[in-house]
Amino acid sequence: MIHDSGLAGFYQRLRSQEKTLAPPPESPADMEQYDLPEVQQGFVRDLPDGRKEAHLLVEGIHCAACVWLIEKALAGLQGVVRAEVNLARQRLWLQWDPAQVSLSAVIRRLALLGYAATPFDQENAEGQMQRYNRRLLFRMGFAGFGAMNIMWISIALYAGSFSGIETEYKQFFHWVGFAIATPVLLYSGGLFLASAWRGLKLRHLTMDLPIAIGASVTYGYSLWRTLQGTGEVYFDTVVTFIFIILVGRYLEAMAKRNASSATLRLMELQPRMATRIIESGEERVSVRKLVPGDRLLVRPGDKLPADGRVLSGDSHVDESMLSGESYPQHKIAGSRVSAGTVNGEGVLTVAVEQIGSGTVLSRIIHLVEVAQGSKAKVQRLADRIVPWFVAATLLLALLTFGYWLRQDFDTALLVATAVLIITCPCALGLSTPMAVAVAAGAAARQGVLIRNGEALEGLSTVDHVVFDKTGTLTEGRMRVSRIYAVADVNENDLLRYAGAVERNFSHPLARAIVQEAERRGLGFAGTVQVQALAGMGVGGLVDGVQVWLGNARLMTQQGIALPAELAARQQQIENGMGVAVLLAAGGRVLGILCVEDRVREGARELVDLLRGQGIGVTLLTGDSRRAAEQLRQRLGEMHVAAEVMPEDKSREIAALQQQGRRVLMVGDGVNDAPALALADVSIAMGSGTDVSMECSDVVLMGSELRKVPYAIEVGRLTLRTIRQNLMLSLVYNAILVPVAMAAWVTPVFAAIAMPLSSLLVIGNAVLIRYRMNRFFSRQPEVVYQQRLQGGYST
Amino acid sequence: MSVIYGLIPGMILLGLVSVLIFFWAVRAGQYDDLEGPAHRILNDDDIDDHGSDEP
Repeated sequence: MIHDSGLAGFYQRLRSQEKTLAPPPESPADMEQYDLPEVQQGFVRDLPDGRKEAHLLVEGIHCAACVWLIEKALAGLQGVVRAEVNLARQRLWLQWDPAQVSLSAVIRRLALLGYAATPFDQENAEGQMQRYNRRLLFRMGFAGFGAMNIMWISIALYAGSFSGIETEYKQFFHWVGFAIATPVLLYSGGLFLASAWRGLKLRHLTMDLPIAIGASVTYGYSLWRTLQGTGEVYFDTVVTFIFIILVGRYLEAMAKRNASSATLRLMELQPRMATRIIESGEERVSVRKLVPGDRLLVRPGDKLPADGRVLSGDSHVDESMLSGESYPQHKIAGSRVSAGTVNGEGVLTVAVEQIGSGTVLSRIIHLVEVAQGSKAKVQRLADRIVPWFVAATLLLALLTFGYWLRQDFDTALLVATAVLIITCPCALGLSTPMAVAVAAGAAARQGVLIRNGEALEGLSTVDHVVFDKTGTLTEGRMRVSRIYAVADVNENDLLRYAGAVERNFSHPLARAIVQEAERRGLGFAGTVQVQALAGMGVGGLVDGVQVWLGNARLMTQQGIALPAELAARQQQIENGMGVAVLLAAGGRVLGILCVEDRVREGARELVDLLRGQGIGVTLLTGDSRRAAEQLRQRLGEMHVAAEVMPEDKSREIAALQQQGRRVLMVGDGVNDAPALALADVSIAMGSGTDVSMECSDVVLMGSELRKVPYAIEVGRLTLRTIRQNLMLSLVYNAILVPVAMAAWVTPVFAAIAMPLSSLLVIGNAVLIRYRMNRFFSRQPEVVYQQRLQGGYST
Repeated sequence: MSVIYGLIPGMILLGLVSVLIFFWAVRAGQYDDLEGPAHRILNDDDIDDHGSDEP
């Protein structure tokens, strides 16, 4: 490990010789452009505290050791607040303080390490990735050519050694082998040599070092034998194993790209062109040319190009890609629409409000990317192990060499090379980031946004779930659920009176009543002399009739008698979770409006499911004890903490944690931020507001409750996969290293086995996606049916 | 037997030619997308396709 001081010393030396030793890949003038505000506008986000944040695409990251190296080196730079590398996406997530360090300085520092960094934007990312893959492909192709040709030479030599060969020809074949192996080692193997050398310069052991040593030692020995003109040469071994390792690397790059392509897929949701309405008609423009305030025409089947508000039109919009909500949402004038969603049957005219990085889609992509790059604790451990692992490999190879040297030099060399090649810290380094990236990507497509790797770890160990009632188990919105009118009065007349008075107020009850009236398309009469009586209700003159709306006390105060039938109804409503609003007009009570916050669909099943898994459930609510008890009877057995003030919610969680519980808090993020922050893991539901996104670990884009057990399942599955992967790579090494040391495998076989272990780990991670997809196909039928049949006896 | 002094360099030369062809193919982007072209033939290009424009 490099000590901080050692690293700094290295850089001081390097900086003094910067011009001669390591010219940055781009001229300094080009880099300064990244500091210009106009240029930064495209990819830099300003954070509230004055710092800045950007994602850089870093070329050349291919192992966990690179990650460690870059993070360590940048952490030493004054003003860099955060630098996290995403291995799967080859991205660097950077937060810095522009007052202390410029972006160009960071990029230059990366260039010194040998990594080319460019600001990330979608098209560029694909280009960079392609360039890296192409470079791999070139080298692989060349090594393949070398391997094919040198095979003929080897066959000739083998045949010669059986049937006798003149020294002259044997020597010639050796030189041909040399002529093929040299360019292959320098060009194709150059990747490993350069990377190992870079690591050595920084006194850091990279994964490419054993490969580089194995290849060059075998090559050097063969060259020496060729010059001497005696003995066997192993040029074919060098060439073949470089070829095979490159094939492995290439497959790995492909698999990695596919495994974590969720973000790319999300980006593909965003259309590139839009139809803008202008005075002379309409025009097709690039989405990037749109500005807030533009009016867009969205035809049936089109994707929405930007976030905005519907000006006119009537249609259903499929938002499943954003929220996981399976039913198309009805959109009329005034509704909000989001970029990337698909318009249904009608034509919509939309006023643009947010474009580009301001859209909900972009925010989701941002969250997913951060999560894919972030590290679970397990990962930090793996990152630290890698250098030791390499050191152990070198030591083992040396021991093996020493042991077999007693037999003969040739065997000792080949066996030591096989040991160097067969040990593979790659699988160890890949196991966690791949699993996290795949899980975060798969969950995002279900509308479950996981913000970091630690959230996955937390979710897997949860044994107690705390719900904040409003907005989670209930819809969090007051609605008129029933209207009881006296015999000779029409429900709509009742509502028309109520709406006429209530629309002058902004109390939640008033809004619920007005909304219901509007929903039914009722017009309102003019109202005069509106008044509010605190704690009782409101009143006003509608068409000359005195109307009162409120509780029983108001009626008593106004001297209006409440018929016995309605009084019983009122009692019934108030015993439940609702609020009974009495309406009196012209001196007599006409009816009752029942306003309540409805229990969400699936709440009961959710509680049963969690309890079935042995997870404790607590409900926090500010409601009265009686209402909370009522709710409990409808939702099943759970602990209810009633009359909890918003600021006391976190105390409930602390109490549970003191009992040794791992607490998952589910809230709507509006007034429970402290509780969400305190819980071991937190899920914010539905709203997708900025507040909830900031303070919780998991954000549900939709409001389907079954996404909660889904999230827990994702966490468990991911952790299980990570453990499997670590085991896989350890078992692989534990079996094959002794085999190699015992001289049972050749270096070429070792070169085949090594990438296989990496691919196995990647493959296992990709399986998360399929296992999680099964969750929903299994869940609704089996589990929910069981609950329906057996669970409603209470 | 001395013919191999000519044949083997010839073989390597031919091999190099195929490597150059391979390099050209990679550079021309033939390996960038191994799935897309198979589907591309099914796309009608005379329909106004508003997903895939803009350079």
